Amino acid sequence: MMYRRQFLSLSAVLAGVPHPARALAPPGGRVVLKVTGQVKQTNQEGAAAFDMAMLERLPQARLTTRTPWFSAPRSFTGPLLRDVLAAAGAQGSRLRATALNAYSVEIPVDDTRRWDVVLARLLDDKPMPVREKGPLFIIYPFDNHAELRNSVYYSRCPWQLTLIDVQ
Amino acid sequence: MPMEPPPAPPGGAGSAASPTPPTPPAGQAAATPSADDRLQAPRLTPWLGVTGLLLLATLLAAAFVQVRQGALLNMAVLYQDDYVVLNLYQLETEYLRLREQMRHEPDADKAEALQLRYDIFVSRVGLLDGERAHRLLSATPVAAQAIQALNAFIRNADRWLGPGSSASLPPHATAALLAELAHLDGPLRRLMLEATHQVAAQITARQASVNQHNAIGLALTGFLSFMVLVFAVVALRQMRAQGERHRRLQALADELRDARMAADAANQAKSDFLADMSHELRTPLHGLVGMLSLLRGAPGQPQADAWLATAEDSARHLQELLDDILDLNKLESGALALLPAPVHLATLVREVQALLQPAAHAKGLGLLAELDPALPPQVWLDATRVRQVLFNLLTNAVKYSDSGAVVLRCARGQADDATPQLVFDVVDSGIGIDPDTLSRLFYRFSRAEDPLARQKAGAGLGLAISRKLARLMGGEVTARSAPGAGSMFRFTCPLRVAEAVGTPAAAQPGGQVHPLRVLVADDHPVNRMVMQAQLERLGHTCTLAEDGEQALALATAQAFDLVLMDVHMPVMNGYEAMAALRALPAPGGRCCIVALTADVFAETRQRCLNAGADDVLTKPLALPGLQALLVQRFGQEPLG
Repeated sequence: MMYRRQFLSLSAVLAGVPHPARALAPPGGRVVLKVTGQVKQTNQEGAAAFDMAMLERLPQARLTTRTPWFSAPRSFTGPLLRDVLAAAGAQGSRLRATALNAYSVEIPVDDTRRWDVVLARLLDDKPMPVREKGPLFIIYPFDNHAELRNSVYYSRCPWQLTLIDVQ
Repeated sequence: MPMEPPPAPPGGAGSAASPTPPTPPAGQAAATPSADDRLQAPRLTPWLGVTGLLLLATLLAAAFVQVRQGALLNMAVLYQDDYVVLNLYQLETEYLRLREQMRHEPDADKAEALQLRYDIFVSRVGLLDGERAHRLLSATPVAAQAIQALNAFIRNADRWLGPGSSASLPPHATAALLAELAHLDGPLRRLMLEATHQVAAQITARQASVNQHNAIGLALTGFLSFMVLVFAVVALRQMRAQGERHRRLQALADELRDARMAADAANQAKSDFLADMSHELRTPLHGLVGMLSLLRGAPGQPQADAWLATAEDSARHLQELLDDILDLNKLESGALALLPAPVHLATLVREVQALLQPAAHAKGLGLLAELDPALPPQVWLDATRVRQVLFNLLTNAVKYSDSGAVVLRCARGQADDATPQLVFDVVDSGIGIDPDTLSRLFYRFSRAEDPLARQKAGAGLGLAISRKLARLMGGEVTARSAPGAGSMFRFTCPLRVAEAVGTPAAAQPGGQVHPLRVLVADDHPVNRMVMQAQLERLGHTCTLAEDGEQALALATAQAFDLVLMDVHMPVMNGYEAMAALRALPAPGGRCCIVALTADVFAETRQRCLNAGADDVLTKPLALPGLQALLVQRFGQEPLG
């Protein structure tokens, strides 16, 4: 627990450091997430495409929390959503997150600044296959903030995430 | 070593010596039960406490209900039962998508798409195993059947499409899975309906629960409002009582302050009176002493007679002054009792006129008396006191007039409430009185301060006494005057007609009294000497006693016609002596006893009479008074 907290604060510090304007490298493996819309760092036509390795290279956060989708607390690991957005050079104020099954939800960019929203790629340190809600899952730190434990924020946690459109 | 007095305890006996504190000592307030009652704090506090506790309990109950309601809401959010239905819809969608995908001809691209659709489908089915879905659906056999069927399909399909299986889906398997998938259609639909119904039922139950909580909350709120009201009422009453108590305390403090001021004023008045009195007494006393010293120095001088006359004048004035003071004291202490008797009005007026005639004549003034013929001949009056008032008024009139005439008019009048009144008007042609003096006229020692009037002697007690006497009778003395225009004093008293009993037996002035054997008991040697000289001048024999015991011994040894008994004496006082005298056998116990007292109280007089006195007279007894007494008591006796 202590470790995680320290990690979170470290990543928060890192997030505060402005990223040097470096071009986003093209994805080497299979693309798992595309960030489209108002993004500056593109590596595909109008999109910042990420494969797992790219997401793994970003600072990682590990978050253990209870969620409506699992009966016990689970731990989620992955980059913070704001770091992913920064890597893509996202400029908007709203995100439309879309899942494999075409479920989509709007997330205010502000949420990613107020809380350490994690773009989880590991569930209990294991990659998530599609049949286990993978490969990507947006998770809010529900256990740390009581104000998040309601339907609005539960609905902002799409799983089988595949696309983020910045508006 | 001088003894320091111990420090007085606060509010204790020591405060009596210190200047009067602004508030009374606590002990004093407690001593008067009425004050204590008034200061008692109202006993409302227990009610306030009980109400407050009830209020607190109600508040806690309301808070508990609120918390419960919040928990209920949170539970609904946490379990997200509504989401189960959405999940089921999405499961059906994915089911349809999977079926659609399977119907396509298989090729490399399609295989990947099918795999994705299958994974998504499985992930959706996985949600049905979740805790919430289980809680919602496990109760029904429909759900169990459906989940069984779904799981069975997944077990079959996983052989080709499951994790770790790299075998591609053969066409015959596709057909078999498709057929199996088609069979899932029914259970899935039923599952969805079931879930919808379950959720609806749960929502209804939750609503009922919320309603119940609401009802309880409403009731609690109502009770809370009521308790607040009760609390407010009790608090208000307490506040009012407090205010009332404060008001009473304030009133009490005001009363005490007023009483103290009144006491101070009375004390001041007494001091003033004493100062005035000393001054008034000193003047004639100086005259007396001065004249007597002149006489002693040159007894044979031709002016000796004049000096003697002045000395006598001063002495009489002194006596009048003391009589006035005694009268005033009697009047102010309420000890003076009126003794009304049928009085012949014409005689009374004539007597008063006759008394003042010499003084008026000496100043060359006319003194006229007019009697209204409409008046009844006999009325109930205390003749002595009426005479005193009239004498006062007429003396003043004569004193302040230098020419003309003084008129005493007696007429019938009416009071405001139409009761008949006897009205005496004393009209003079004197110097008159200015309005300022007029307003102070009836207060003791408020003599006219006018330099003209200052020349006239007078104690200034006369009018105060007259007014008090008149008021005691139920009447009044008023004055009307203007400087230089003379004055009119009006004395009124209730007119009560007395039965005509004929002309009263006129006192026999100068009636002969045969020589008497008189026993004088007085502890004061001067009094004894004066009394002896006076009695012997009147031709009586006098035996002297210094106290009651001596008097009793003398009276036992020999017979006396009259005993003049001073009341206050050492060894045996007058009361005891009189009682003992009366206890003696005849003739000793039958003699006439007259008590002499310097004090003025009615109870003293009554005590003397009770002890056996035939009469009570006030000291000092001057020669005319003594003579009158002897004439009254022994004058009717035929001369031996």
